[in-house]
Amino acid sequence: MRICEVMDRDLTALSPDTTLSEAIEVLTRHRVSGIPVVDPSGRVLGFVSEKDIVKAALPGYFDYLQDPSFIPDYGQFQKRLKKIGQDPISKVMAKDVVSFSEEDSDFYVAITLIRNHLKRAPVVRDGILVGVVNRADLLERIMMEEEPPSFA
Amino acid sequence: MIVTVTLNPAIDEEYLVPEFRPGGWFRASKVQRTPGGKGINVSLVLKQLGQETAAMGFLAGFSGEYIRDVLRKAQITTNFLHVRGETRTNVYIVDEVGKVETGLAEPGPYISEDEIARFISNYERILKRTSLVVLGGSLPPGVPQDFYCELIRIARQRDIPTFIDAAGAPLLAALDEGPTYAKVDQRFMGSYEGVTLNSLDNLIEAVTRVHALGVEWVVASYRTYGNVFFTPEGIFLAEFDRKGIVSMFGSGESLVAGLILSGKEGMDTKERILFGMAAALENALHVEKGVRNRVAVEKLIPRISFEKLS
Repeated sequence: MRICEVMDRDLTALSPDTTLSEAIEVLTRHRVSGIPVVDPSGRVLGFVSEKDIVKAALPGYFDYLQDPSFIPDYGQFQKRLKKIGQDPISKVMAKDVVSFSEEDSDFYVAITLIRNHLKRAPVVRDGILVGVVNRADLLERIMMEEEPPSFA
Repeated sequence: MIVTVTLNPAIDEEYLVPEFRPGGWFRASKVQRTPGGKGINVSLVLKQLGQETAAMGFLAGFSGEYIRDVLRKAQITTNFLHVRGETRTNVYIVDEVGKVETGLAEPGPYISEDEIARFISNYERILKRTSLVVLGGSLPPGVPQDFYCELIRIARQRDIPTFIDAAGAPLLAALDEGPTYAKVDQRFMGSYEGVTLNSLDNLIEAVTRVHALGVEWVVASYRTYGNVFFTPEGIFLAEFDRKGIVSMFGSGESLVAGLILSGKEGMDTKERILFGMAAALENALHVEKGVRNRVAVEKLIPRISFEKLS
């Protein structure tokens, strides 16, 4: 099956100069984990997810910690998050975006999402955003299909 | 791509109540819940006729998510801005026996200046690949009364035709900006510039004035089942009889969708009017909003009466 039959034809997107605080607002209001970043003509420039924002706001030493339970509270995280709140999302967005075309098969998309640890990715036509695919929607579709896909 | 703008969408709840009257307590024999608002309705009908569109506007809360979900399942492209509050619910009571419809509408969620600005930037972005913009319905609180003017102006700067289907002050303001098509709903608009829209002559007078503002096509409802069409090729009256009509709910938007699709396919003025009216009639033959399919619409063309007025 082609991905255009499963994708969400939603064009919600942010421009690269959107602030992080506005991006957080859009993510929560739209109840999604990530949103494409586009130029004025809808060309996909990047993708910003909760994960990117969390990463940007975490203290620098976080990567060296084995276990986040070492952190006593989120005071420092909050301070950093507020500090970067007015930064443009172009600073934190993923610029090397995994995107799909409408003709891609659902199986190819599923495998690519898993391989890249992605929940959501944009679908483009000539580089222009036409929709998004969600891992959960793909799972649902695979569940509903009568014949299990062959892995041979 | 055709873009429909619904600034104040709604969930339309249609209750079929035999012999409804105010003050009583009734059980509905059938309830229908659908996403609504003029632009969204046009998108849904165009989809039923096999035409792709993108729907945009403001959605809020649980009702907003429901609307988005239905549009998504119908594979309609969406670009709504989700705002605080709750998208409204409009209630319609259809009395099957008395053939009377009663409607009740909410104002809708408040839209802030920031949200309006964000909507404009989404609108400008989508216009880069838009062939026609349909603007429909009322304005939610917070949106300036002349907002349609701005949207028409932005589209015109890019040579994109516009179709407005609205009423009252937002429509009057929009007409000054000269949209390509305008649909005037007489039910919500008793007069235009002091001319009471109660007779055919008055209607023609009002519509002629609108035309002078640069509006190419003006469609005005006339009597219960008719419309007067002011077109570049003359003024026409088209009507259908009441045989088999269940609910006119959504028929206006089916007419708009029919006119748009037939225009896109290059039909001539008469064919466009007949096709549009047949879509409106098909919509009226069942409680379900919208049309069944294109074949069902085309079958009804012989039931439309067509007359050239001048």
